[in-house]
Amino acid sequence: MTAAAQTAVTTLPTPSTPARRRRRGAGRDALAAWGLLTPNLLLFGVFLLLPLAATFWLSLYRSSGFGPREFVGTGNYRELAGDGTFWRSALNTAVYAGITVPVSLVLGLGVALAMNRPLRGRGFLRAVYYLPYVISGVVVAVAGRYVFNENVGIVNRLLRAVGLPGVAWQSEAVPAMTALVLISVWTKVGFAMVVYLAALQNVPKEYLEAASTDGANRWQQLRHIVVPLLRPTTVFLVVLGVIESFQVFDVVYVLTGGGPGNATEMLVTYAYAEGFDARRQGYAAAIGVLTYLVVLVLTALWWRRQKAQEAAQ
Amino acid sequence: MPRSHGVNTWTSATGRFGRRAFLAASAAGVAALSGCGTGFALRSGDGSGSAEGRLSFTLWAGEAELTAFRALADEWSAGSGVPVVFNVVPFGELLTGIDANLASDRAPDLFRVTYQDIGLYADGGALLDLTDRLPAGYADGFTEAFRRAVTHQGRLYGVPHHTDTSLVLFDTEAVRAAGITPPTTLDTAWSWDEFTDAARRLPTRADQFAFGVNWQQAGAYRWLNWVAQRGGRLLDDGLTGPAVPNRAARDALALTQSFFDEGLVPPTTSTKGSYVDELFTTQTIGMVFAGDFLLPTLDPALTAQGRDYGATFLPRDETAAADLGGNAVVATATSVNAEAAADFLAFLAGDDAQARFCQEAVVLPTRTALVERGLDYPLRPDLMELFVQQATTITPELVEQVTVPQFNAVNTALVDRLEQAFLGGDDPAEVLDGLADDVEGRLS
Repeated sequence: MTAAAQTAVTTLPTPSTPARRRRRGAGRDALAAWGLLTPNLLLFGVFLLLPLAATFWLSLYRSSGFGPREFVGTGNYRELAGDGTFWRSALNTAVYAGITVPVSLVLGLGVALAMNRPLRGRGFLRAVYYLPYVISGVVVAVAGRYVFNENVGIVNRLLRAVGLPGVAWQSEAVPAMTALVLISVWTKVGFAMVVYLAALQNVPKEYLEAASTDGANRWQQLRHIVVPLLRPTTVFLVVLGVIESFQVFDVVYVLTGGGPGNATEMLVTYAYAEGFDARRQGYAAAIGVLTYLVVLVLTALWWRRQKAQEAAQ
Repeated sequence: MPRSHGVNTWTSATGRFGRRAFLAASAAGVAALSGCGTGFALRSGDGSGSAEGRLSFTLWAGEAELTAFRALADEWSAGSGVPVVFNVVPFGELLTGIDANLASDRAPDLFRVTYQDIGLYADGGALLDLTDRLPAGYADGFTEAFRRAVTHQGRLYGVPHHTDTSLVLFDTEAVRAAGITPPTTLDTAWSWDEFTDAARRLPTRADQFAFGVNWQQAGAYRWLNWVAQRGGRLLDDGLTGPAVPNRAARDALALTQSFFDEGLVPPTTSTKGSYVDELFTTQTIGMVFAGDFLLPTLDPALTAQGRDYGATFLPRDETAAADLGGNAVVATATSVNAEAAADFLAFLAGDDAQARFCQEAVVLPTRTALVERGLDYPLRPDLMELFVQQATTITPELVEQVTVPQFNAVNTALVDRLEQAFLGGDDPAEVLDGLADDVEGRLS
């Protein structure tokens, strides 16, 4: 490069300077973004992806958790295919999710609508509804045992006091699942309420006023305006609820122990029993992997369906 | 645009500052978590992995047990010069913690373990072989059943520190009102028929039952008492396959199923149900099968209610048989203090130390000399004497079945299958066929 050219270059007006600044700025932003993301990604990788991969790896072995392990390939999965308790647990989990998710959503929406209007002691009532959600599942289940204990529980004592027979909450399948669902719904309603309450603040009042002017009653406003506008929130709650339902453990473990028979055995409690009681950790890992895949597929399908519906609208 | 400029300046300044602060805090958080990472498997407390110059001992323990352990450890340390540090964890978390520590080479020198779990660890090569490390003839001081409980493939892997077993506790007033006279000697223990007749005389209604049996969850193996009482076994003599179905198991299952069918026991007390001792304190049941370790809990509760209670022996049939409860203490194969660990174990399960521990913690001895001599219990010595006698019916044959390495898996099969019979009303023969399949699969 000649000296003249160098001079020309150095003395050229620099239209790219702002662009370079922008690039430098963008580079700094990207660096900051990575800086902020890295801790999360590290935690995600170390505490989620790595255990997930390790669980899949373990599911290919027969292992008691320590000592020598034996590679069995798909042996654990083939055994699961013929395991009646596994299928019963899967069915129970589906039934549990199928009841608790819609019921807690409907009740949560109802409570949110009630709490969304001027009401004396509203803050206190919101706290009362939300409290069960933040209490430890074990504590909730212990409280549930006091309520639904078949012999000395509060419900049966009240029933017997008025001359009615007690309910077999612990020794018959349907009442046991009912007790479990009631306790679970009680804990989940508060969360649905809080999320719906936040979403209700974004429902434009003008729409409701216009509908009211057109003669729509409250039910029609709710059905044709509020509920459709809450659809993204509902999708979020359904996905979260299904995932939570497939992870249910503490309430079942303490309240029913999976019994009577296998009436309330869930996928996670069964995995725990096989992994830590029976010390068949490879088999338990296989249950965990399948549960993960089922939740993944269900969530993806649900999400896709909702997006398709939104696009169609 | 001063306003915009002002906002940008504020955002930029605080953003940069905030970002740095946030990143620093995040880095600190990650470092803190990484630091915690190595400690997740170990519980907080004053103990940790094996290290030279001290013995680490991981255990669960009630207050009285821990006091006794500490006193004995202090005494041994005074002589040996090696301190013992305790890492006390909840019972439910001990084994998962130990597994994690074994997997990460952070195992303690010593840990407490139930007899049902010892085979698993011995089979996995996790335990120190004590056969040649204990004083000559030391193991002969234990009764045969307990010696077998800590023996795996002919080698000794722990010391049988103490045992527990069950008796039938009864509400004195309820039993008197029903005109029942419980047996007072082991030889005159109720036969199955006599026991059932006595139970039928106790009042029952919707929320009142005659008795409850302690076969829930991990205690499901206690059902094997009934099989053994009729002279049968769950596992074959080689401990490699099921011995069921057999006549004794069928009879035992038919009898125990009838307890539910007749409404003698609460339906909530099946193998997946609630523990029975709480039903005794609430007077839901008049008699309860309960271990000696429950006395420190039951006694104050019943005394506070002004209730008197007594105990009688487990029913017997062709023979007497009782469940193996209690715990061993083992040393780990990776201990860097193998010699000191073995010396401490020999001291801990010796005559004098075991006598003191059993008396203070209200549990039963495993050393023959103590069984013969008797102990001076501070709580209900009259009942503890009966427990000691009942423990002599813990047979070596029953012990070897419940200490196979795969027994945890076998026990979960028992939980499921017995529940089918008790609450599902399934035919005993079909249940035992299913149990045989399960046992075969789990032993393989």
